[in-house]
Amino acid sequence: MSWLPHSHFTHSDSIVHRMRPDVKLACAFALILATALAPGHWTAWYAAVFALLTGATLVSRVPLKFVIQRLLLLSPFILAIAAVNAFHPDVRTPWQVVAAKSLLSLLAVLLVTLTTPFGKILQVLRRAKVPALLITTMALMHRYLFVLADESERMQRARLSRTFRKRKGIWWRLSASVVSQLFVRASQRAERIYDAMCARGWK
Amino acid sequence: MHIPDGFLDGKTAGVAAALSVCGVGMALRQVKRELPPRKTSLLGLSAAFLFAAQMVNFPILGGTSGHLIGSALITALLGLAPAIVVMTAVLIVQCFLFSDGGVVALGANVFNMAVLGCVTAHFSFHAARRAMPGTRGEVAAVAFAGWCAVVAGAITCAAQLAWSGRLPWTTAFPAMALLHMLIGIGEGLISALVYLAIVRARPDLANTSSPTHAPPWTSVTLGMAVALGIAIFLAPFASTLPDGLESVAQRFGFEHAAVAPPVSAPMPDYEVPGISWSVGATAVAGAAGTVIVFLLALALGRLLVPRKQSATPG
Amino acid sequence: MSPAIEVTDLRYRYHDGTEALRGITFSIERGDCVGLLGPNGSGKSTLLLHLNGILPEKARNTGHVRIMGEAVTAESLERVRRRVGLLFQDPDDQLFCATVEEDVAFGPRQLGLPEEEVQQRARDALARVGLRDYGHRATHHLSQGEKRRACLAGVLTCKPDILVLDEPTSGLDPRGRREFKTLLREIHATRLIATHDLELVVELCPRSIILDQGQIIADGPTRELLNDEELMLAHGLERPHILRHIHPH
Repeated sequence: MSWLPHSHFTHSDSIVHRMRPDVKLACAFALILATALAPGHWTAWYAAVFALLTGATLVSRVPLKFVIQRLLLLSPFILAIAAVNAFHPDVRTPWQVVAAKSLLSLLAVLLVTLTTPFGKILQVLRRAKVPALLITTMALMHRYLFVLADESERMQRARLSRTFRKRKGIWWRLSASVVSQLFVRASQRAERIYDAMCARGWK
Repeated sequence: MHIPDGFLDGKTAGVAAALSVCGVGMALRQVKRELPPRKTSLLGLSAAFLFAAQMVNFPILGGTSGHLIGSALITALLGLAPAIVVMTAVLIVQCFLFSDGGVVALGANVFNMAVLGCVTAHFSFHAARRAMPGTRGEVAAVAFAGWCAVVAGAITCAAQLAWSGRLPWTTAFPAMALLHMLIGIGEGLISALVYLAIVRARPDLANTSSPTHAPPWTSVTLGMAVALGIAIFLAPFASTLPDGLESVAQRFGFEHAAVAPPVSAPMPDYEVPGISWSVGATAVAGAAGTVIVFLLALALGRLLVPRKQSATPG
Repeated sequence: MSPAIEVTDLRYRYHDGTEALRGITFSIERGDCVGLLGPNGSGKSTLLLHLNGILPEKARNTGHVRIMGEAVTAESLERVRRRVGLLFQDPDDQLFCATVEEDVAFGPRQLGLPEEEVQQRARDALARVGLRDYGHRATHHLSQGEKRRACLAGVLTCKPDILVLDEPTSGLDPRGRREFKTLLREIHATRLIATHDLELVVELCPRSIILDQGQIIADGPTRELLNDEELMLAHGLERPHILRHIHPH
């Protein structure tokens, strides 16, 4: 599961990890909201938020390399906005402000998601009165993401091992059949999970 | 199409979030009322399926590859309300687990891809399905619905960016619409191929019963969809629309909450003839594209499904 | 005293009309440990799902299942499910919660027990299967053997009188198998074990039932059945090596 390093960090220990998840989420949300709504010329405010978040990131001992890699994924969006700004200097928000806002918000979200197990986030959402059906759906999704992703990888490998020349037409059909099999298996598994839930008293 | 934080201003994010809460709330209520208990676990597994399916690559041009987005496929398989719930779960998990898409922008993302995406897919699917009988019609309809859902979501995304003052509408609309008219072709093709393979393997899994009984919910969404459709297709011609929205915002006092313009007040650039022409041209291309894609979808259905198999509807 | 499990002329058809069970009749006394053998697709899993009242929901079946003397009906379903603990074949189907602790506590929470009791039961069950410090581990990071033991703990927290196990040792390495066998031996509930692991049956179950094509082919003392080479080969099984050394014919 090299494509998903998140869960490796959520169980280390630091002040940020030990913070109550609901407090942490509320703080992050307030910070992101304030950053999103702050006027463009509040440079000091952006600097303060940046200092706070960088400090927290360092304290939490989340690998910086990973955080930076993730932040770089934002750059295409920011470059696009910057390019448009170059041709339309009359747009109300200059691209630097958009870039600052999105980088800071992403840093805040990353810090929360990297230091809080997803189950805890779900608990907070449940207490915040998010409908139970949506919570159950997300909990099951989170539980079986990895199972299905592994299943898909195994299927693709098995199919590729019998594909001798990768022609595009064949590749499309292979990929479509992998995805369709994935759905068939997911729905069969859904039935078995429902049985298992019933066997232990689900109502 | 996941909008990151910082790209929307307060009023846009707020309005989009309110619309999403309404849409998802209605979908949840409908699911609770009508979904058999045995299918509860299918929602979560479908969400996990979409996530895993998005990691399967389809080669496009040169070294690039695309992947399934899935709102049309899941709408065709599960029905409208469950599909909205599933897509919403996917977007929330992507936001909080992979920090994909912003937190303040979550409402807008849910609106574009879950609510509007699935509603568009649902109505375009059921409308296009009537064009041809049997599995052929379904496959063609899924392809068409996949394209429509992607394009509709992209247009509202552009509108949100424009309304937030981050991009001029005259740039955002043509760029997003034209780009996603291309992406939508891939999405339609993938959705159709996957749908056909599922129906061949397990015909019982596709829930394609057309909405014959019409509870109030259907008429409400139909009304919403029609209104949205009109708005989407008329918006480009009414080049004063951003102004119109602005004046509404001013009347309701939103404007004070919005970001103060750091640069001097913008000269509305859509009055420049060349640029407003690009908006009009995009709208014409969109209308023509819809017809062409619809015909292509029908051809795809004929190509993929032999007449004999189509006779036994899945 | 009524038997723990009593099945009379049970028949079941799949949606496509295939007969999965064709008139099954047997009973198991309280405290017994019985092996259920048969080739793949012989109907073992289908039979086990009936004992927990999961399949009758889908209709298409006739016959009776009685658990501790009580017929399995819509009204008695909750009591039946509390009495019968079902261990599924694929541990990933059964561990549907994110952490081990949450999953193990799922049953007692559904029963509406007070939170301290739920916690206590979860701790006891985890200790019993040797996963004492695993409470906060994510279920998808466990090894196959740990997953299987976590499943067993999740069943044990409901304190069932009857334990029904579907291939409990498949996919385990020899050490995992040995550990799981030891665990099963220490549980004193009535046990019905469907498996291809013949050594497990020889060691744990004095009596065995052989199922093929939805019918009971043989029902008797394990050693006697497993030594009948002709019978075993005819139904996709074989005489286990362990018996060849003990009872050379």
